[in-house]
Amino acid sequence: MALVSDHVPTTASNEAATPSGATPSALELLVTRLGANTRGMFVAVGQGARFVADVFRATADLPGWRGEFTTQARILGVDSLPIGIFIAIFTGIVLALLASYSVGDIVPPYFVGTLVQTTVTLELAPVLTGLALAGRVGANIAAELGTMRVTEQVDALETLTYDPMSYLVVPRVWASTLMFPVVVGVAMIVGLFAGWVASLLLLDITTPQFLKGVRLFFVEFDVRYGLVKSASFGAAVAMIGCRAGLSAGGGAQGVGRSATRAVVISAVMILVLDAFWALVWLTGRTIR
Amino acid sequence: MTTAKQRHTNDFLVGITVIVATVAIVAGILWLKQSDLSGRTGDVVARTRDVGGASLGNPVMIRGVRAGTIKSIALGDKGWVVLHLTIDHKIRLPADPVVLLTASSLFGEWQATITESTGVPPDRELRAALAKARTRRDTLPGAVMPDIAQLTSVAGRLAGDVAKVTERVQVAFDDQAAKEIRQSIRHFAELSKVLSSTVTEQSRNLTQISGDVRTGLRTVNEAAARLNRFSGRADSATSNRELQQIVTNAQQASKDLVTAMTSLREAADGLGRTESRVASAMARSDSVLAKINSGRGSLGLMVNDPHLYQQSDSLLMDLRALVADVKKNPKRYINIRVF
Repeated sequence: MALVSDHVPTTASNEAATPSGATPSALELLVTRLGANTRGMFVAVGQGARFVADVFRATADLPGWRGEFTTQARILGVDSLPIGIFIAIFTGIVLALLASYSVGDIVPPYFVGTLVQTTVTLELAPVLTGLALAGRVGANIAAELGTMRVTEQVDALETLTYDPMSYLVVPRVWASTLMFPVVVGVAMIVGLFAGWVASLLLLDITTPQFLKGVRLFFVEFDVRYGLVKSASFGAAVAMIGCRAGLSAGGGAQGVGRSATRAVVISAVMILVLDAFWALVWLTGRTIR
Repeated sequence: MTTAKQRHTNDFLVGITVIVATVAIVAGILWLKQSDLSGRTGDVVARTRDVGGASLGNPVMIRGVRAGTIKSIALGDKGWVVLHLTIDHKIRLPADPVVLLTASSLFGEWQATITESTGVPPDRELRAALAKARTRRDTLPGAVMPDIAQLTSVAGRLAGDVAKVTERVQVAFDDQAAKEIRQSIRHFAELSKVLSSTVTEQSRNLTQISGDVRTGLRTVNEAAARLNRFSGRADSATSNRELQQIVTNAQQASKDLVTAMTSLREAADGLGRTESRVASAMARSDSVLAKINSGRGSLGLMVNDPHLYQQSDSLLMDLRALVADVKKNPKRYINIRVF
């Protein structure tokens, strides 16, 4: 099993001399460096693609990962519910206040409900929860697998004929992919509820007005869009965390670096995927 | 490695979380969409040329109360748009219902209003659109009412027209015109004074006339009272059977009269027959007299021949002398012998 390695041969050290031993010219050096960097970039993309392909391949080994699936689902999903709910509560409250502050007397008060519903369902619940879970789940996975890597537990598993991909990676990836929508779905409901309570207690908006606004432009697609998006976030965060952990090296420092890298790349990937889904699903589509 | 007990706990926690989250999300969606799970709603179909800004889920209003939602919008045949409206089946639609699609606010909200055709605003184009959309089937006719943008555009045009009119009035309304209008107002005041005095006078006349009318009415009332009394008497006569006796007698008299008339008619018929017989006899007499006149027959000869008359007369005289002589001397002429 060829597990991932971040060691990419790069730049000047290897390419400082030509095969013939003659000193290269400045132009040749520049072109060589450019070529090496380009290759390094494609190597990273290729390795990532191969990692994804390995995950799908290892998914076929159901007995290898089924036992760990619910454990990971609990750690990555159920245990993440409090933070998801916490974020959703404050998101809902802030959104209601922001909506009231922004539109004020310009539009009828029930538009606060519309704004809360639309923004929570379409964007804030998936993205904010995704970012929070990227920190929690991504760092958790990267640190755990990184520690296993630097303490050679992964090597031990391989020695015991366990496939690290099916035993370590696949349950985390599928658990994360399945449980992210669950956490985001709960966050949507809680965010909406928090916005409702905030509108009742802090703003001069009645329940019928808020509900009218919520129902005004509500379409089932909004929820579907948010849940599918969050599933893709979950898959991306878990894969990035697994890859960062398994490629960790250099002791405790290496584990820390891989955890940091996992969180940063996961956050960036969440925003990229957010834009991707918006382009794919929302372009040319109106709320009507 | 996880133990079997830990795995069981994990399985349970994950399962319950997934179930609760799924149920909550599905229930939330159904609640927000106001889905009909108990089958309390029915569909009403409407057709219109255009739906304006109406979209799925927009409310359906009846007399200002939310009664359902727009369930589907689809292009139909011959350029129509077919709308399916979901409303509570307990709600009774107005008589001769029509569907009006209107903007319910300035912020892009639309609604479908089901109202009576008589309640449609007096807009010629709107009514024409509804008349065109009318069909014999169970499909309600629908039309789009102009939204605020169209109304604003029309209002802008009207404002332009008003501005033009104002400009023209300003041109026409110079000092001379103002002086004339002031004079007209003064004349009008005088005229109204005259009119007022005339009205006062006519009012007095009218009071007199109304007094006469009152007197006349009193007389009519008295006559009516008399008529009432007469009716009362007639009623009492009816109750004593006198009127009935009179009616019976009149019926008998009428019967007798009918009989007399029948007899008279028969007599007249007999007279007619007699007349014809007399006419016939007269005709025959005419014929006889004509023959006599013409001297035909013995009588004609006797009438037309004076000599014969004289001889007859002489004969008659002789006969009369003979009779007298026979009376006087019967034995001379009658000689009876027995054996």
